[in-house]
Amino acid sequence: MDKDSFGTYHPIICFGYFCAVIILSMIYLHPALLLFSFFGSLFYGIYLGEKKAAKFFCCLPLPVILISMVMNPLFNHRGATILFYFRDNPVTMEAMIYGLVSGLMFASVIMWFYCYNHVMTSDKFMYIFGKAAPASSLVFSMVLRFIPRYHRQTKTVSQGQTCMGRGVGNGSFRQKIKHGAAILGIMTTWAFENAIDTADSMKARGYGLKGRSHFSIYKREGRDLAAGIFVAAALAAVIAGGFAGYNTPDYYPVIYIPRAGVPGTINYICYFCLCFLPIGLDIKEDIKWRYLRSRI
Amino acid sequence: MAVFEIQDLTFTYPDREVPALDHIDLKVEPGEMISLCGRSGCGKTTLLKNLKTVLAPYGEKTGSIKFFGRELSQVDEREQASRIGYVFQNPDNQIVTDMVWHELAFGPENLGWDTDTIRMRVAEMAAFFGIQNWFGKRTDELSGGEKQILNLASVMVMQPDILILDEPTAQLDPIAAGEFFDTAKKVNSEIGTTVIISEHRLESLLPLSHRTVVMDRGKKIIDDSPANAAALLAKENHHMFTAMPTPLQAYSLLYEKGIGCQLQCPVDVGSGRRWLTELAKTQWGEEIKCDSVPIPEQTGDTEWDKSAEKEPIIDIKDLWFRYGRSEPDVIKGLSMKIYPREIFTILGGNGAGKSTTLSLMAGLQRPYRGKVKIKGKKPEDHGEKLFRGLLGVLPQDPQSVFVSDTVRGELEEMLDDKDLSREAKEEELMRIAKVVEIDSILDFHPYDISGGEQQRVALAKVLLMDPEIILLDEPTKGMDNFFKEELARILRGLTDRGKTLVLVSHDIEFCAKYGSRCAMFFDGSVTTVNTPRKFFSGNRFYTTAANKMSAHIFKDAITAGDIYDLVMENIQE
Repeated sequence: MDKDSFGTYHPIICFGYFCAVIILSMIYLHPALLLFSFFGSLFYGIYLGEKKAAKFFCCLPLPVILISMVMNPLFNHRGATILFYFRDNPVTMEAMIYGLVSGLMFASVIMWFYCYNHVMTSDKFMYIFGKAAPASSLVFSMVLRFIPRYHRQTKTVSQGQTCMGRGVGNGSFRQKIKHGAAILGIMTTWAFENAIDTADSMKARGYGLKGRSHFSIYKREGRDLAAGIFVAAALAAVIAGGFAGYNTPDYYPVIYIPRAGVPGTINYICYFCLCFLPIGLDIKEDIKWRYLRSRI
Repeated sequence: MAVFEIQDLTFTYPDREVPALDHIDLKVEPGEMISLCGRSGCGKTTLLKNLKTVLAPYGEKTGSIKFFGRELSQVDEREQASRIGYVFQNPDNQIVTDMVWHELAFGPENLGWDTDTIRMRVAEMAAFFGIQNWFGKRTDELSGGEKQILNLASVMVMQPDILILDEPTAQLDPIAAGEFFDTAKKVNSEIGTTVIISEHRLESLLPLSHRTVVMDRGKKIIDDSPANAAALLAKENHHMFTAMPTPLQAYSLLYEKGIGCQLQCPVDVGSGRRWLTELAKTQWGEEIKCDSVPIPEQTGDTEWDKSAEKEPIIDIKDLWFRYGRSEPDVIKGLSMKIYPREIFTILGGNGAGKSTTLSLMAGLQRPYRGKVKIKGKKPEDHGEKLFRGLLGVLPQDPQSVFVSDTVRGELEEMLDDKDLSREAKEEELMRIAKVVEIDSILDFHPYDISGGEQQRVALAKVLLMDPEIILLDEPTKGMDNFFKEELARILRGLTDRGKTLVLVSHDIEFCAKYGSRCAMFFDGSVTTVNTPRKFFSGNRFYTTAANKMSAHIFKDAITAGDIYDLVMENIQE
C-alpha cells in the first residue's frame, strides 16, 4: 500500500480521478480507448494488489470478457458479416466484436473499482463527504468503530453460551434456534448498555456544542494542484474528442471506426495518459528510488 | 484559588433512603495529584461524576461545588468540556471514532477549533504520549493499555485544568496499569495538570500521589498525605484493611500487637523493606532464629504432594496450537496435569497463551498436535455431556452470559431444561444463590449491579450446571480486594465440595494466597509448576509484594500473614 504514490495524493484528486476514468470507460466504447483503460487499470491493480490482484483478475474480469464475447452473438443477431449458423441462428462478427468490446468495458470498470477500494480508504471517503454532511460522516466513523467490536463480542458471547451448553450447535433444531435468539438478545442489551458509556464520553468531551468544526489529516500540496490540472486538461480533451465524434464507433450493421486525424490522435494520447497516470506515477517513483539508492 | 472547593455536599439517588454522598468537604489545589480510595460502592464515582455537570447523576443534591471560585452550575458547558477532563473505567466504550487521529481530534472538533489549531494540539499531544507510532492506526487494533492512553490523550488535547480519572486501570493487566499510572504522573508533574484518580489498586497509586482521600459509605473518612493516611488506616484496623497494599497490611497486623508502633508506616515495597529491616534490628538484633514458615500439616503444600499419586482429572500432553496455517504457534509443546479438587492457577504475561489454553481445555479450539484429556477422554468425545455436568467455564466478561432482565431470570434460565419439579428448582436456585451470596439481589437487572456482583451471578449460572471442573478466566479483574476475599471463600467452598478449579490470572497476590498450585506460563508453554510458597519464594522479580519486601530476612514469606507469623515467631523465641 505504502509504495503506491498515487494514493498519497489528496483524496479529492484520487476520488475525482476514479470517477472520471470509470465514467469515461462506460461511455466510450472505442476499442483503442478501452484497451488503454483496460491495461491501465490492470497494471495499476496488479501494482497495488500483486498476486491477489492477478488472482482477482482471473476470477472475475477475465471470465466476464470471455462470457460476454461468447454470449452476445448468441442472443444478438445484428450485423452484416455472418460467420456461421448456430442452431439455425446467424452468428455475426459484429456481434462478437461488440461482445468483446463491452466485456472489456465491464472488465476495466471492475478493475478500476478494485483499485478504488485499495486507494480510497474509509477515512478518505469520509473526508470528502464529511464537508458536505459532517453529522453523517461522524456517524459513519462511529459505525466503522462499532462493527468490528460487535463482531468480536458476538464471538465471545457465542463461545460463552457454548460453554453453558447453550451454543448454536447444541441441542435439537428448536433449541438451536432458541439459543441463537438468546445470543442476539445478549448482543442487543450489550450494545445498548455500552452505548450509554459512549454517550457519556461524547458529552464529556463537548459533543453537542454549537459550531462543531471538521478536522482532517490531509493537506493540499503543489503536486495535488499539478495532478488536478493534468487530469482536468486530459479530461477536457477527451470529452471534446467525444463531442467531435472520435470516440464512438458504430458496430452495427458494419463496424465503422472514425478516422482519427491530428485532433483525434491528440484525444487518444490524452486518454492514454489519463489511464496510465497512476501506474506511471508509481513507476516514476520506483525509478527515482532505484536511482537514489544506486548513488548511495 | 482552589480548582475545586466542595462544601458540605450531600447527594441522594432517587428512591434511596441512604445518601450516596454524606456531607463531603474537599478542596483541590492546582497541581495536586489526589488519590481517591474506598471499597466498591462507597461513592467514589458519584463524587467524581458530580464534578462535571453533563455527567452528574439525577438525584437530590445539597451543598456547593465551586470551580475556581464560581459555582459549578454557573460554568457553561463549553468551558467545562475543555477545562474539566474525565476518563472513564472501560477503555473500549469511551472511544468514539474508528481512527486514532480522529479520536484525538474529536474533542477539539466539538469545541469548533480550526484545522490548523487542531493539527498543532493533536501533534503535540501525540508526541507527549508517544502515540506517533500508532497515530494512523485503527482504534480497534490497539491493546487495552494503548486504548486507555489514547482516551487520556484525547482528553488532554483540550488542555484541561483538571483531569478526573475514574478507576481508569480496573480493566487493565498490571503492566498496562503501571504504564497508565506513570503517564498520569507525567501529566501531573510535567504539565502541572491537577489530577484526581480513583482506584482500588493502592499499591501502585499511593507512592505517586500527593494526597490520599479515603471514603467509606459516602463519607470522607481520611484526607491526608499518603503515608499518614496509610498509618491512620493501619492503626484503626479499618475494614479497608484488605484494600491496603501488602506492606501496610503487615504493618497493621503487627501494630495491633503493639509491635513497631514507633516506626514510620511503609507505603510501598521499598519503604516496607526498610521498615522490616528496622523492625528486625530493634526486635531481635542481627541473628535470625526462624527464617522460614513452619509447614503445618493442614496447609496446601503437603496435601498436594499426596494428590500427586491420584489420577489427573485434566491431562495435557505435548500440545501445539496455532490459529491459522501460516500464523505463529501460540501453544508450544505444553504438558501439564491437573488433579481433582485443586485450585490450579496459571500466571503469565499478556499473549503468553493462557486464555488459549483454557479454550483448548474446553474444546472450543483444537490442537494440531498433542492431546487434551478430560477424565481420560478428549473434550469433543464427551459430546453434549461435556458442558452438562463435567466442565463449566466462567468467561472474563460476565456481561457476555446475561440473557435475562433480572438476576433471578438468569438463574432460572439455567434450570429450564432440567427434569425437576418447580419446588425443587426453586430450592436449587436459592441454594446456589446463597453459596455465592447473591440472594439479596435476585430482583435486580444484571446490568445494574456492581462488577463483583456480576461476576458472582455468572459464577452462579455456571454452578447451576453442577460441573466437576470449572475454568475461570481472570475472575478477579476489576474487583477490589474485599470482593476478592469473598470470591476466594466461595472458591474454597467449591473445592471442599469436590470441584476442581483452573484459573487464569494476572493477579499474583490472589494466586499466592489461594492457589493450591501455580503454573508460570511463558512463550506458549509452562516453565514452572509448584505450590505457591515454593513457586514465589524462588522468584525475585515475578513474585508477591510480601516476598519482595521480606526476601532479605525471611526465606519464604509470600503474604502479609506470613510476615506477621514469622515476626511473632522470632520475637517469642
